[in-house]
Amino acid sequence: MNKEARLKASINQKLTETGERDRLKELLRAKLTECGWKDQMKAQCKEVIKEKGLEHVTVEDLVVEVTPKGRALVPDSVKKELLQRIRGFLSQHAS
Amino acid sequence: MKMEEKPLSGPDNTRLEALMQDIYSELVEDACLGLCFEVHRAVKQGYFFLDETDQDSIKEFEIVDQPGVDIFGQVFNQWKNKECECPNCKRLIAASRFAPHLEKCLGMGRNSSRIANRRLASNNNISKSESDQEDNDDLNDNDWSYGAEKKSKKRKSDKNQNSPRRSKSLKHKNGELGTSISSDPYKQYNYNAGISYESLAPNEVRSLLTTQCGVISEHTKKMCTRSHRCPQHTDDQRRAIRLFLLGPSVPTLPDVDGDGFDVPDSQAVLSRLQWEDSPDISPADSASSKASGNHSDSRRPKKKKKPAAVAAALSMSGGGGGVNLMGVSGAVSQSTISLSTKKKKPKAAAAAAPSVSSIFNELN
Repeated sequence: MNKEARLKASINQKLTETGERDRLKELLRAKLTECGWKDQMKAQCKEVIKEKGLEHVTVEDLVVEVTPKGRALVPDSVKKELLQRIRGFLSQHAS
Repeated sequence: MKMEEKPLSGPDNTRLEALMQDIYSELVEDACLGLCFEVHRAVKQGYFFLDETDQDSIKEFEIVDQPGVDIFGQVFNQWKNKECECPNCKRLIAASRFAPHLEKCLGMGRNSSRIANRRLASNNNISKSESDQEDNDDLNDNDWSYGAEKKSKKRKSDKNQNSPRRSKSLKHKNGELGTSISSDPYKQYNYNAGISYESLAPNEVRSLLTTQCGVISEHTKKMCTRSHRCPQHTDDQRRAIRLFLLGPSVPTLPDVDGDGFDVPDSQAVLSRLQWEDSPDISPADSASSKASGNHSDSRRPKKKKKPAAVAAALSMSGGGGGVNLMGVSGAVSQSTISLSTKKKKPKAAAAAAPSVSSIFNELN
């Protein structure tokens, strides 16, 4: 388990150091907006807000309600592309 | 790179795959969280619901999908066939023609003043010149259309009231007119083709030749009135004409060729100055023989009088600062003598004239 933890830590470190993490984040955001995922999620948020009331909605409320749906709503193509890039990175940098 | 490809080594595969999934989920969660923050802030700041309108407005501005009508519900072409009453002339004008009509009617706008001026000018001319004539009635009847036709030719005829065309047409229509209408300098202007050199005084010939091509056309026997660069005639022709008309020494072409100041023959200068002595340059043969005779005559007696003659030239051309010119004239005569070896006489005086005048200019 230690190995795994160490491996994971080192990979994460490399991701951040090389700037790959930020690049991946931007890529993901762009792809999600492009495919309409963001608008769908906003609609979900609206419902939550209407449910909880405009004045009293908190970040926690939104996160708890919306994140699982968000994870599920990511289109396959976007998911695959991202996994591809991560795999490429790993094959490059895994010791 | 295929999706199913697993280039990673065996035992680490699963670990790396798992790692991959972890990283992916982390990224997605990050995105979701970012969105939630964004939405929450929008809600608290109050701009989250701004792009939504109430039901009534939505119904009002719904997209229209009926035939004959655009998406706003407006009929295309609705005002095209309507007529509007002009506040000025009280006429009913079609809507699309309304703006231009108003411009003319009110006399404002860019074109209306131009047109009005043109019309006034042409009407004045027509009424002035043809007031005594029989066919004036016809013209008066067709006043509007005649004016319209004249529009395109307007500029040329407006420019010069004494233009050849006008005086010629006048002469035709009214035999009494003769040359009384047009002013003197134009009396020799015949119909459009040029000038007849026969009726010109030598001064006028000279001045004309300095500005115009002047080549005499074979079939009309008239001088070409175009510029020195007129494409119909060559420089040689121009030179020949000047030789012919003014004597062998004075081709007054402003654009002297690159020979520069060669052969400003003193005799040439003198013979030019002595123009009054041989005023009668008659056509063709006699002129050339006479001119050459003139040249040989002038050669002998004038040699000793160079400085005086050149000084006379300077004073003639300029007319001021008498005493100072003597030194200059001496210089000029010396330069003319020194350069006299080359044999291109027709250009002599032309070169001399610019050099003399340029020196004179420097003085002043």
